[in-house]
Amino acid sequence: MTVSTDQHNEAKRDVTFKVFRFNPQVDSKPYFDDYKIPVERGVTVLRALNYIKEHVDASVSFRAFCQAGICGSCGMRVNGISMLACTSQVWEVLAKSKEEGVIKVEPLRNLPLIKDLIVDMDPLVDKMKHYSNWVDSSMPEAEMGKKEFLVSEEEFLKYDKATDCILCASCVSECSILRANKEYVSPAVLLKSYRMNVDTRDSIHDLRLAELVKDHGVWDCTHCYRCQESCVKSIPIMDAIHGIREDALESRGMKDTSGAKHAEAFMSDIEKKGKLVEATLPFRTNGVLWTMQNLLPMAVKMILKRRTPPPPPMVKPSKGIKEFRGEFREMSEHVKQDHKSHKK
Amino acid sequence: MKPFDIVIVGGGGAGLYAAMEAMKTNPALNIAVLSKVYPNRSHTSAAQGGANAALANKAKDDTVEMHIFDTIKGSDYLADQDAVEVLCSEAPKIIRELENIGTPWSRLEDNTIAQRPFGGAGRPRCCYCADKTGHTILQTLYEQCLKKGVIFFNEYFALNLSVNGSRSKGLIAMNMKTGAVEAFPARTVIFATGGYAKMYWNRSSNAAGNTGDGQAIAYRAGIPLKDMEFVQFHPTGLRKSGLLVTEGARGEGGYLLNKDGERFMARYAPEKMELGPRDLVSRSLETEILQGRGFDSPAGKYIHLDLTHLGADLIKSRLPQIREMAMNFEGVDPILEPIPVRPTAHYSMGGIDTDNYGRTVMEGVYAAGESACVSVHGANRLGGNSLLDILVFGRIAGHTAALEARKFEPSAISEDEVKDQLAELRSSMQPSGHYERYGELREELGQTMALNVGIYREASLLKKGIAEVLELKERFKKVRVADSSDVFNTNLLQVLELKNMLDLAETVAAGALAREESRGSHTRTDFPTRDDEKWHKHTMSTLVDGNVKLGEKPVTMGRYELQERTY
Ligand SMILES: Cc1cc2nc3c(=O)[nH]c(=O)nc-3n(C[C@H](O)[C@H](O)[C@H](O)COP(=O)(O)OP(=O)(O)OC[C@H]3O[C@@H](n4cnc5c(N)ncnc54)[C@H](O)[C@@H]3O)c2cc1C
Ligand code: SF4
Ligand code: SF4
Ligand code: FES
Repeated sequence: MTVSTDQHNEAKRDVTFKVFRFNPQVDSKPYFDDYKIPVERGVTVLRALNYIKEHVDASVSFRAFCQAGICGSCGMRVNGISMLACTSQVWEVLAKSKEEGVIKVEPLRNLPLIKDLIVDMDPLVDKMKHYSNWVDSSMPEAEMGKKEFLVSEEEFLKYDKATDCILCASCVSECSILRANKEYVSPAVLLKSYRMNVDTRDSIHDLRLAELVKDHGVWDCTHCYRCQESCVKSIPIMDAIHGIREDALESRGMKDTSGAKHAEAFMSDIEKKGKLVEATLPFRTNGVLWTMQNLLPMAVKMILKRRTPPPPPMVKPSKGIKEFRGEFREMSEHVKQDHKSHKK
Repeated sequence: MKPFDIVIVGGGGAGLYAAMEAMKTNPALNIAVLSKVYPNRSHTSAAQGGANAALANKAKDDTVEMHIFDTIKGSDYLADQDAVEVLCSEAPKIIRELENIGTPWSRLEDNTIAQRPFGGAGRPRCCYCADKTGHTILQTLYEQCLKKGVIFFNEYFALNLSVNGSRSKGLIAMNMKTGAVEAFPARTVIFATGGYAKMYWNRSSNAAGNTGDGQAIAYRAGIPLKDMEFVQFHPTGLRKSGLLVTEGARGEGGYLLNKDGERFMARYAPEKMELGPRDLVSRSLETEILQGRGFDSPAGKYIHLDLTHLGADLIKSRLPQIREMAMNFEGVDPILEPIPVRPTAHYSMGGIDTDNYGRTVMEGVYAAGESACVSVHGANRLGGNSLLDILVFGRIAGHTAALEARKFEPSAISEDEVKDQLAELRSSMQPSGHYERYGELREELGQTMALNVGIYREASLLKKGIAEVLELKERFKKVRVADSSDVFNTNLLQVLELKNMLDLAETVAAGALAREESRGSHTRTDFPTRDDEKWHKHTMSTLVDGNVKLGEKPVTMGRYELQERTY
């Protein structure tokens, strides 16, 4: 039998799904099981997994509900990238597979593993609570239901896109800081916090912001853009992160926090040294090798996309940085060239 | 465990509104929400179109009375008119309340909540947030419940009510993360577990978990179900998966075209055209297909939903989710090509019988949302009235339970009862000798429901359907849970859901066979007209000795007399 959308005999491909397995009751460590099944065009990764569960191995465990990319249940890593299984086409994924005919399926990262492809979402919910991810209405409860707040198009557009978030945790799984620090606020929670803070109906902006600028908050973000690049709803998460930072710098009274002080110092630093210094930050927290492997490609992408990296905390020059600066100079030259050729 | 004042089963719109309202009514109460998925994953998130309320923001002359009339007429006069009055009068208030607590409604030019036309409504009164209305309502309610400190038991699967005579002692549920069966002694229980249209499986727009668990639990505990034969088919499901293309697409001006390129709705509903009520549009599509005017494909016959004339800008700004789905699941970009669609089982009008306060016949047990049947939708629900139903009656049920909870003495659920449930679960799922496969039974159930208890119904088909469902129930006794683990045994959960669907399928098919008339979503080719004399009444299903026993209940009138329903 074949997993198919059409009863017709369409072209099929044999695909090996390398599925991450771990049952805490019996396994001391995770392993992979291989399932080779024929798959037609138009079949999603989730349908393929369903097929495996129904016809090959009923014990393979994963979450799925709506099957339409709206509930956020089926986030998992497919060939190393976090995405929704129910909206990802097997053939499309296959085209980009490193290993011919093989698709690797793993659980999301940065959340505790429960079983196979299932991770615990509770830490994320706890963070939503910690950062007051709700509108605390400026209207007293007794008045509710009587009249509407009037909200202009301009006000609405500020949070419209952010409300697309389905809490699938793909961005959480891809976040470079969360890998090192599980306490970190998380991109989805930053996004939600921003959405609440720009809502004119809300009344606890300052309180929320005060939490966001503390340790593990918005200043810890390295601007690696991985969250935004992996967002399954194409939400500009970085706009929210920038928004919170600008807000924090503008808000008087917030300047006392260490994060903002760092940031201010960094701003002047940037003026002196130019914007690209940001890329040296991860050295401090993660070491040279890690940074080279993980962040350098992102930094290059950022530059190529001409995004302006805003301020992280101060960076002390450290060994190895010279080399790096050299590379960056090259890159910035490259970007300038690119700019010029574009203008022509 | 310490007894709860209120245990709410279900974290969709109905369950969360109930929780929020109960906390508001009496903050001292000990309230828990139990859900088999994280609340924000509930199927309410799939509702794209919107929720009806006569705010009169868009059409200044809209009134609650017109909303009431449209709903009663839409129901083919089977709705209880006092319940409809509650629904429509509460509507403006509840939509504003949602706005006040942060729901990101789309806006009109004068900055008020936006409204658009929707099937079967005389005025544009459907309030929306682009095409993510249900999603944003659910997010807002979840956020507010977190704010209020509602206690959530996420990924808990409700198994059964614990009953003592005519009283409920609480709930028995499985912790999916550990596989442990746990007791939730409670003064009151509110079922808000959503619909049962998934029994039509891949001919359904519903999420995998819309398996009618709450209805089945109530039914097994002796609580009657009402009007189960009324299942609404949505005219525009995607051809391959059954997934829904919302009415919003037609509300924004989309056309339905047959293979001759004809806007065939002109022949069925000349005035409302594509915006006629769902049952009528679904039947029209089915008729076009049956009479050979549909398109043909290996995945089945279908009709075109054409949006191309609306232009890229409108599609991108107002219907982004629809575009995404058409591209992901049909490989079609609606800006460039029409979307292939066919009718899909979408909404269950029937459910747990309640009064206008959400009470069931069992003391301390309430129900709300799609799992309940108050009844405000009668034989056919209007688009945009279901979100409204779950909000209004979710709130009412929460409020009533909060007021009444302390009236009931809590009783303990013995450890033996819990152990027995677990033991029964284990042994029944591991048959010796010959066994049945879960996937096959479920496939066959979907198949027989679609073929024999679908849009067009007829005695011989329905009898065949019932026989097949009964046979499946027999075979189910030999079903095997192939996964033997405790932690997150999704295989076991699927099997338990199948059991619930099988129990309910019998009530749907039996109700459909008994009702010898055509009304709303229920179309009998052998009884093509509405028969008010014999059938202007609700069907009641009760479980007696393992099988369904049908009864009846009068319809509450009082506002509008019976009329023929034309559009
Ligand atoms: C694709 C689609 C589009 C729709 N669009 C619209 C629209 O535009 N307008 C409109 O008015 N209506 C629409 N509807 C209908 C509407 O969305 C639903 O009727 C409504 O959301 C149901 O809400 P609910 O709270 O009753 O149930 P649900 O949102 O389905 O929630 C049920 C809850 O019960 C829980 N649950 C179920 N079983 C168990 C169990 N055994 N143990 C523990 N927990 C359990 C689930 O986890 C879930 O939290 C649409 C429906 C679909 C399918
Ligand atoms: S940009 Fe910030 S939040 Fe996003 S992935 Fe990188 S470190 Fe995490
Ligand atoms: S921001 Fe995007 S990737 Fe992150 S949880 Fe929300 S929808 Fe998923
Ligand atoms: S199953 Fe709901 S998003 Fe994939």
